[in-house]
Amino acid sequence: MSTVNDREREDAASPDAPPLDDAQSVSRTRGRRLSRRPKLYTSYRQDMALLNTPSKRNAVLALLAFAAVSPWLFADSLLFIFAVAFAAAIGAIGLNLVTGFAGQVSLGHAFFIAVGAYTAAAFTGDPDVRHIGLGMQWVVAVPAAALTAGLAGLVISPLAVRLRGLYLAIVTLGLVFLGEHIWKEWRSLTGGLGAGRRGVIVEVAGARLDRAGELFGIFMTAQQKMFYVTLILLVALAILARNLTRSAIGRAWSAIRDRDIAAEIMGIPLTKYKAMAFGISSAYAGVAGALLYSVTRVIDPGSFNLLMSIQYIAMILVGGVATISGAIAGALFISFLPFITRQAPVLFPFIATDPALRGGGLINVFQLEGILYGVLIIAFLVLQPRGLFGLWIKIRNYWKGWPFSY
Amino acid sequence: MSLLAQSLVNGLGQGAAYALIAVGFVIIYKSTYVISFAQPALMAAGATAVALLTVQGGFNFFVAVAITVVAAAALGFGIERSILRPMVGKPVFIVAIITLGLDVVIRIITNRFIGFEVRPMGDPWGLERTQVLGITFQHRHVAAFVTAGVILALLYAFFQYTRMGLAMRAAAFDQETALAQGVNVGTVFGLSWAFAAVLAAIAGVFIGAGSTIDQGTWVVGLKALPAIILGGLDSVPGAVIGGLAVGIVEALFATYQSTYMPWLGSNFSVVAPYVLMLLVLMVRPYGLFGTPEVQRV
Amino acid sequence: MKHTMWRLAALVFLLALVVAACRADEDEPTEALPDDPDAVDEEPVDDEPDDDPVDDDPVDEEAMDVPGITEEPCPDGINEDNGCIYVGSLNDLTEGPFSAAGPLIQDAAEAFWRRVNEEEGGIGGYDVDISTYVRDNLYQPEVHSEVYQEIRNNIVAVGISLGSSPTIAVEEDLEADSMFAVPMAWNSDFIFSDIIAETGPNYCVDSMNAVDYYVDERGDIATIMSIHYPNDYGQDADVGVRIAAETHGAEHIGVQTPPGPENQGDAIQRIAAEQPDLVILTTNPTDAGAIVGESVAAGYDGFFIGHGPTYNVALLDSPAADAFLNFYWNVAPYAVYETDLPGYNAMREWLDLPEGILGNNFHVAGWVSQYPVKTALEAAAENDDLTREGILAAKQSLTAVEWEGTLPDEAGNYAGEPNERAVRASFLSQPDTEPESGVTNLELEFTGPTAQDYDFSEPCRDNY
Repeated sequence: MSTVNDREREDAASPDAPPLDDAQSVSRTRGRRLSRRPKLYTSYRQDMALLNTPSKRNAVLALLAFAAVSPWLFADSLLFIFAVAFAAAIGAIGLNLVTGFAGQVSLGHAFFIAVGAYTAAAFTGDPDVRHIGLGMQWVVAVPAAALTAGLAGLVISPLAVRLRGLYLAIVTLGLVFLGEHIWKEWRSLTGGLGAGRRGVIVEVAGARLDRAGELFGIFMTAQQKMFYVTLILLVALAILARNLTRSAIGRAWSAIRDRDIAAEIMGIPLTKYKAMAFGISSAYAGVAGALLYSVTRVIDPGSFNLLMSIQYIAMILVGGVATISGAIAGALFISFLPFITRQAPVLFPFIATDPALRGGGLINVFQLEGILYGVLIIAFLVLQPRGLFGLWIKIRNYWKGWPFSY
Repeated sequence: MSLLAQSLVNGLGQGAAYALIAVGFVIIYKSTYVISFAQPALMAAGATAVALLTVQGGFNFFVAVAITVVAAAALGFGIERSILRPMVGKPVFIVAIITLGLDVVIRIITNRFIGFEVRPMGDPWGLERTQVLGITFQHRHVAAFVTAGVILALLYAFFQYTRMGLAMRAAAFDQETALAQGVNVGTVFGLSWAFAAVLAAIAGVFIGAGSTIDQGTWVVGLKALPAIILGGLDSVPGAVIGGLAVGIVEALFATYQSTYMPWLGSNFSVVAPYVLMLLVLMVRPYGLFGTPEVQRV
Repeated sequence: MKHTMWRLAALVFLLALVVAACRADEDEPTEALPDDPDAVDEEPVDDEPDDDPVDDDPVDEEAMDVPGITEEPCPDGINEDNGCIYVGSLNDLTEGPFSAAGPLIQDAAEAFWRRVNEEEGGIGGYDVDISTYVRDNLYQPEVHSEVYQEIRNNIVAVGISLGSSPTIAVEEDLEADSMFAVPMAWNSDFIFSDIIAETGPNYCVDSMNAVDYYVDERGDIATIMSIHYPNDYGQDADVGVRIAAETHGAEHIGVQTPPGPENQGDAIQRIAAEQPDLVILTTNPTDAGAIVGESVAAGYDGFFIGHGPTYNVALLDSPAADAFLNFYWNVAPYAVYETDLPGYNAMREWLDLPEGILGNNFHVAGWVSQYPVKTALEAAAENDDLTREGILAAKQSLTAVEWEGTLPDEAGNYAGEPNERAVRASFLSQPDTEPESGVTNLELEFTGPTAQDYDFSEPCRDNY
């Protein structure tokens, strides 16, 4: 990745963290905030805490509370997109680990998502039908998906040790094409192009979470349930990833990203850490794949293509490279973009819907939707090249300084 | 033996078109360090323009190509000036995703013009062929090969012997130094996009020659990806050799794989270039002709 | 700072868009039925005015109990006094692989209902509308599922559902919603599902009939090659060719080929090497052009029969034109666009295509696809049960559909067993420069012995 300055971002994220004088403060007030100065860090531990400012903590709690009630506010069609977006966010976090934090650009994410999706589908599949199915529980299938995809990631990680930058990107893209070939040929698993196979069956303790029905005595639609399922996994995996990046592993990754030779000289074993980055990232992709096709009911082998990989890259770029929250925001943005463009008929009621354009005009409204998709991505990145995270920083700083501009 | 020679000849014919697209990618990469995902769409747009001008517009094929070349150059220049110039100095992957957005936009507009029928290219070569020593040479393949050769020779001359070519090489070598020496780097960027668009359009013409184009033609543009990596991202000769190699590998696998390696599954020829790319990179991590990055701490 | 404000404004606008489609405007889905009245009561924003025109259809106010049917007239309604029945369309309209077909299918389906509304005054006091709930599915099952959720509470059936895997992706939802779909895909899986209304013979049957017809006309054959895409379309067709080859004691050579004219080298070379008597093509027009044109130019003098989507009139302007005129027939579930039969005549009249758009097979597909919807709606209206359940039940008990000659009478037996449902008659045509669709009929409703005797106990593709 074109060296995105992580340090700068972290600074921007916590500008009120003063430089520390550990030795002194740690000895006296480790972990305790001064009563009148809630924003003053008194220990390294506080600076590195998961949610290191009160506002961050409050914001996250508020967001989570809002998310928890969302299934009773939004229409099923939106909950469906949310569930897809949450699943995609898990994949985007995974990609951000390897690309944003460890600096290894991977266009092979679609392949690992496919591995996860097919593993989970095969584990939960009905043993009596034509396609491979083991009839196992969903709670087993998702970890299995993570494991299989993670192993696949480990296997290809040696490539990353040998190759750099765009070369690595296109080689991992080769993986996607090879994958497409494998999925096309392995029809007992995938059902073949065009028809596909049944996706992941979400059955936990006898309750079908991908179908409408009672859960804990409350009637919920499939979309409401899957919203919660994906949300819970997303929160858990996001916290895990955030912790990972705060640990020695995360620091090693950042060092490798910023200058791999320097990192090696400092005693960071490149092979090991790159392998870990690919393994963990792919495991996230595996979970994402399993969840995506818990929401969507059919897996078509044609889905795991170049476009899917690029969409994940777009998610982390739009959201903000090397931030967990950015990956989530980016996944939401990219997943909702088609929905937003589908509002085109409302905004442009004068554009014809007639596919034959009997009333004249250059394009119909569906073509306009497609064009808007491209235009919005371009416009967003041209105006806001640092992504949603950068936008957030700008807005926050504006209000912080208000009413003064600077 | 003649089967082998035949598939080599066919592969070279296809490969010439791939090489043209690949060179477009490389020219943009050299000047701006961006892989432009808009190339496939520009290719399809160029092919569509020629097809519409010849069959619907009734223009002579070569006139149609000339008009398209001028239009493509203007389009490439315009896109760079209006959309990509503000992004100079921004992370290259952001720019790459922007080109992807461009790709979507150009493709949908192109599809609108292709319409619901397939479009014959209206080229003079058609399916004519000549037998030499038991090997069939398709005229369109020969034309593609010769055209690619001429264009690349012209490009070489341009880069070697003109002031602007020198400026482009200088900018590719080191933008800031070139800027300090009075090179108008902006013009260089614009010109690279114009070149790339023209090359893509001509490649599109040869992809459609003797056949038809439809809304799916843009996919062929992706064949340039293994080609440029194979040859080395920043090497024009590398892109040419990469493109030809992709053509040949495809043809060889198409001819022999079902007989000798059926266990690879049907139609392995489509992915074979990627496998070749992988193998080459294991030995040479910067492709065959790419410049290794100087590593400093 | 001005910029920031603008961006904030944009952000707020986007948020507004999102919130605009919130849970309130949805009638609780049919599955959320009676046992839990709270589900509806709990809606906190129930009385918030809805300012989003997309969802601001009369549906919401009028017909809480009958989703997809309103007493308000249709947006472009013809009969002012009629209510409106909404039929959905999930179609490949812009960039998917069938975006050259989707808009034509849509256009013809809209023309179909224009006619019903105008000539017959709608159905049971309602106009029928298929142009309001149209969504682009990009031919991806993921997108198809997503957009289905958007319209599921506003329609009574999915009149157009383009693609096999996309259609299968919403089958469970359709079942939960008591709706049926008309798939724009002809593989033999669909006769096994009772929430699907397939129209016409499947690819497998078409293949069988193509071989049988050729044998009828040109005498016995020793080798048949089937060049097909590696997808449901190609594989279903390939199995049909194999079954027909067995009937005739001919050798079957299956050649799978990837899409893209530049990838047809393998197929062309196999034709040259094996010189089969007959080649069945299951590709798209561009690839068929490459295969037919180049094989014939290389001296192949056998014969090609292609499936419906394999042919396009513009091939007759391409270098492969002569090869197509002399060595090619087409097999399809329908007759050609220009056929002089009541249904086709009405289609041409009501489509009234503008300059520059040529009538073709996909128009026929779109038009014909709406007959079962119409028949089911009429039956439900007759039973005085114009609800989703009533319409689905009506569809499931249909034994015949009034096709106006567009399909054989045996088609539309949705009450029958799969084997009875399967249509066994195909339409054959040959390239011709005269008509705008580029083909003229060779034989209407041809049923060969292979298809006649074949027992559809499972989808053909399962035996690939």
